[in-house]
Amino acid sequence: MNPPQIGMSAAPIPPHIVAIERPRESLMTYYVLKAIAANVAFPFVFPYLYFRYHTMRYRFDTDGIHMKWGIIFRREVLLNYSRIQDIHLRSNLIERWLGLARIEIQTASGSASANMTLEGMEDPEGMRDFLYSRMRGTREEKAGGAADPVAAVLLEIAGELRGIRALVERPRA
Amino acid sequence: MTLVEWVKDAVLRLARVPADPHVPEGAEESVRVFNAGRNYFTWRMILWGLGNAATALGLAAAFAVSFIPTLPSLVRAIWLAVEAGAVGLFVASIPITYFLQRLNYEMRWYIVTDRSLRIRSGVVWLQEITMTFANIQEIRVNANPIERLLGLANVDVRSAGGGDTAHGEASSGHVGKFAGVDNAEAIRDLLVERLRVYRDSGLGERTIEAPEPLSLSAAREVLQETKALRNSLATY
Repeated sequence: MNPPQIGMSAAPIPPHIVAIERPRESLMTYYVLKAIAANVAFPFVFPYLYFRYHTMRYRFDTDGIHMKWGIIFRREVLLNYSRIQDIHLRSNLIERWLGLARIEIQTASGSASANMTLEGMEDPEGMRDFLYSRMRGTREEKAGGAADPVAAVLLEIAGELRGIRALVERPRA
Repeated sequence: MTLVEWVKDAVLRLARVPADPHVPEGAEESVRVFNAGRNYFTWRMILWGLGNAATALGLAAAFAVSFIPTLPSLVRAIWLAVEAGAVGLFVASIPITYFLQRLNYEMRWYIVTDRSLRIRSGVVWLQEITMTFANIQEIRVNANPIERLLGLANVDVRSAGGGDTAHGEASSGHVGKFAGVDNAEAIRDLLVERLRVYRDSGLGERTIEAPEPLSLSAAREVLQETKALRNSLATY
């Protein structure tokens, strides 16, 4: 008999994704450009982005993503793969030149903006595909499956009946 | 290769626009790729023309200001110089924005598989949204009068979550837009058809898809075996 089927979240996370902790360095370059583009707001925007970059930590485990950043106002976001509603992959011209893209993850909570934005991933498209593969509804997930105990017992009964019939139909000596 | 194609190629390379999007997960034979309707470009051109007309009108009004007789001559000279610069920028921007509109029309993919959909759009600001049917809450078809005249409509696909304004116009998140398609009904029917399998609320539960529980088919097998056994006992 097949072992009980557990949800997809129990599948191991590829090691190169577990290894991700920090955004890549080109993100800082992008932040500098972004702060410059903010013009007069530069003195406010730059420190914020500087500390955001330097305190940004990711953790990908079997259930979900942890992301935290901030120095004065500390922020931490936890999100389960199975609760992801939709994934946006966005990039502007400058970001693409730097090999960056934002992965905006939405859950069913009531905010219009993204619930979590992954920035500075080494391979944004690959990361998107990974998250997508963990979303519900991506692959076949039959309810019950081999784990259904009633089905297992019934199949065993059927097997027993088959055995009895074989005995009955055996040519008598 | 025509000149337009060459420029297009160069722009796409310069802007590091990735090639066609990958098809998301789903059965291979179920993949359907839609594009914006032919008239979508006309619609974009109308918007683009209106925007440019408004700018031109503003520039003309600013030019008219310089004819006020009481204006000191130095102020007038500076005014006219600024005006000339603005007109120059405006004229230079016309072919660029026209080309970008055209690319924006061409670079649109609405991909539907039996499990997910992926919508890619944009050239300078690129975005690619991926959703699974298991999470889709609502499908909306809308078109304004001009779009209807052009035979176009937009199909909006929404997942759970807030963020709408009072008019139901969603901002960026939670919505995939099949913008400017000329076969909205067919797309809508296809989406409804593929949504039919999902009976849950789409909020993170395990998907229930088996049309018949496994225990029922196992029970049928027991029944069948029992009948067969009775038959062989009858001939015993």
